[in-house]
Amino acid sequence: MSEFTHLGSQLVNLCSVLLLLSSFAIVAQRRLSACVDLFALQSFFLATTAALVAFLTGHRHIYLAAALTVVIKVIVLPRILRKVIERLNVSRELVMNINIPAGLLICGGLVVVAFFITQPIIPLGYLLTRDSLAIALAIILIGFFTMIARKKAVTQMVGFLVMENGVFLGTTAAAYGMPLIVELGVFFDVLVAGLIAGIYTHRLQDAFDSVDTSELTALKE
Amino acid sequence: MWPVIVLLAGPVLAGLLSLVIRRARVLHAVNFTTMLALGVAEAVLTRQVLADGSVTTLGALVYADALSDFILIIITAIGLSCSLYMWSYMDEQVARGVIAPKHLGAFFFLFHMFLFAMVAATMANSLGVQWVAVEGTTLATTFLIAFFRRRESLEAGWKYLILCSVGIALALFGVVLTYYSSVRVLGDASSALNVTELIGVADRLDPNVLKLAFLFILVGYGTKVGLVPMHTWLPDAYTEAPAPIAAMLAGVLETVAVYTLLRSKAIVDQALPSEFTGNLLLLFGFVSFVVASLFILLQHNYKRLFAYSSIEHMGLAMIGFGVGGLVGTFGGLFHLLNHALAKALAFFVAGNIHRRHDTLEIDGVRGLATSQPVTAVATLVAAFALVGLPPFSPFVSELLVVSALSAKTFASDTVHVGRFVAVTISDEVRSVGLVAVFLLFGVVLFGGMMAKLGSMVWGAPREGVARGESWTVGHVPLLVMMAALIGLGVALPEPLRTLLARAVTVIVQR
Repeated sequence: MSEFTHLGSQLVNLCSVLLLLSSFAIVAQRRLSACVDLFALQSFFLATTAALVAFLTGHRHIYLAAALTVVIKVIVLPRILRKVIERLNVSRELVMNINIPAGLLICGGLVVVAFFITQPIIPLGYLLTRDSLAIALAIILIGFFTMIARKKAVTQMVGFLVMENGVFLGTTAAAYGMPLIVELGVFFDVLVAGLIAGIYTHRLQDAFDSVDTSELTALKE
Repeated sequence: MWPVIVLLAGPVLAGLLSLVIRRARVLHAVNFTTMLALGVAEAVLTRQVLADGSVTTLGALVYADALSDFILIIITAIGLSCSLYMWSYMDEQVARGVIAPKHLGAFFFLFHMFLFAMVAATMANSLGVQWVAVEGTTLATTFLIAFFRRRESLEAGWKYLILCSVGIALALFGVVLTYYSSVRVLGDASSALNVTELIGVADRLDPNVLKLAFLFILVGYGTKVGLVPMHTWLPDAYTEAPAPIAAMLAGVLETVAVYTLLRSKAIVDQALPSEFTGNLLLLFGFVSFVVASLFILLQHNYKRLFAYSSIEHMGLAMIGFGVGGLVGTFGGLFHLLNHALAKALAFFVAGNIHRRHDTLEIDGVRGLATSQPVTAVATLVAAFALVGLPPFSPFVSELLVVSALSAKTFASDTVHVGRFVAVTISDEVRSVGLVAVFLLFGVVLFGGMMAKLGSMVWGAPREGVARGESWTVGHVPLLVMMAALIGLGVALPEPLRTLLARAVTVIVQR
């Protein structure tokens, strides 16, 4: 392995770890607007990782994905979510299904699980981005956990977007990006999902005077 | 090539038109004409597929073989009957003031986007594009479920959006893993997710990666199918959705979701022994079947009852695919069609009852036979078909599944999932035991469904409920579907039989 690739691989690993750290920060954050900011930061790290991989491997289409990440996940979606939060009457999430220290512990466990699951398939990967696959799965699981642990519609949406970031990191790490048409479609879907969630919080607020999804209890067995 | 273009462009065009048209009559006419055009295009496509085996077009983006064509038949048939039913259903909702007339255009726009996403998911060559389209169905239908904007329907729509999005994000990771394994064999090609490419090299893909990929895909798309334990969104969504939408969700969307699973199964089965995917499907199928049968006994809302019956029937189809082989797979596929017909009929009936009686409670409805004779007959037919009585067609497909199950010998007792989780099927629980469990819960189901639905049909109607039923255009699909359920139960037409047999060979290669 040349010095150059070695350095590159270290940098990619560093960026992946920053992504992972930011998802931990989201789990530990009570303020809704800070959660959104952290998501934007995480998306920025993701774009950096993608650009780095594109530069080191010469796969030019990854640059496009990085640019789209910046536009959609760093700028547009956080803006929509901030607008939603402005209209709400709450800024902090006080009651959670699982409290923060326990949540962080569980997320630590999830990282171990992610490394354990991906162990048999990691040696197949490209040298440059090998360990990122495990980190990607860890981020997906943490996003999943956020959606379960939180009650506010906004944070549930952030959880979903974190999952999506994890999948995207996995795509870049595992296979240097998916076919272009698929990536474009995925971005489109994520954007529309964000818009729809925005409309929903609006309507939920009107109907329930709250975006606390634990108020959604009319439908039971 | 043109049938493919009609199938894809038709719904998009109709959706855009719906946004600008104001008059309800024109909206319905556009909707019906589009569905008719789709039906004709689908018939032509079927002829082509039967003649040539498969159709690949539009720069290899579209791939239609016997399996996808069979699913397209279900989409167009149920879609066409829905468009007729909606004609009377939506007009009445507007007349009663449940929805504003100006919202009708938005309804049809979303409906056509939903249709487009399902057609695209079925015809997509690339597994990635297929994923995009399946996520598209979630986005298009969430507002359709919440269309009446009541608190409960908003709740159901939100729950559906969140749970299905999570599921589908997991499925995307599965697709990424499939790509991870295939790009190594196929090189860095943009076609490395195409079914046409994958099927040729599937036996050289890395088995460990595919195992993990299939698990993610099963949990992800399984959420959309409504397999237990990922089913919790389903009863709420089906109860709150307008009746024609519930019919589309239950009859068509579930079918498309099963189709996406089958596509992955066909690929994974080449790299791994087919027991791996088979046993997983069998496990999920059985759990869904048993849990749903028990929940049916607890229901006091007839739309929820039908929703749980959907879970149960999807479980049954999964058992068919899980057992595999020619008979099991044939039974499973045929059951998808029969379930779509019976369940769409059931939700149409539910819509009729709800409009007349203004309640979803089973106890609130009495004497359908006097108040709505046609609907009463349709209710009974739907109930008989759903519990699997002859001569209705679900009886035939269920019989195929059970006979495949009883003939199955289990090669291995332990399913290894990943490296460390092992699901053990003990020696005693062999095919006979499984068949016994299956039949036992079949009986439970029979009792539960018939007692509950029967109580709605007989007796004297409540005070203040109008008697007699006048014929509307919405009654046409009821008659056609009843005829189809009986007809397919007696004889399977030759082209359909050939198509089904070919579709089976797509899934069972060895």
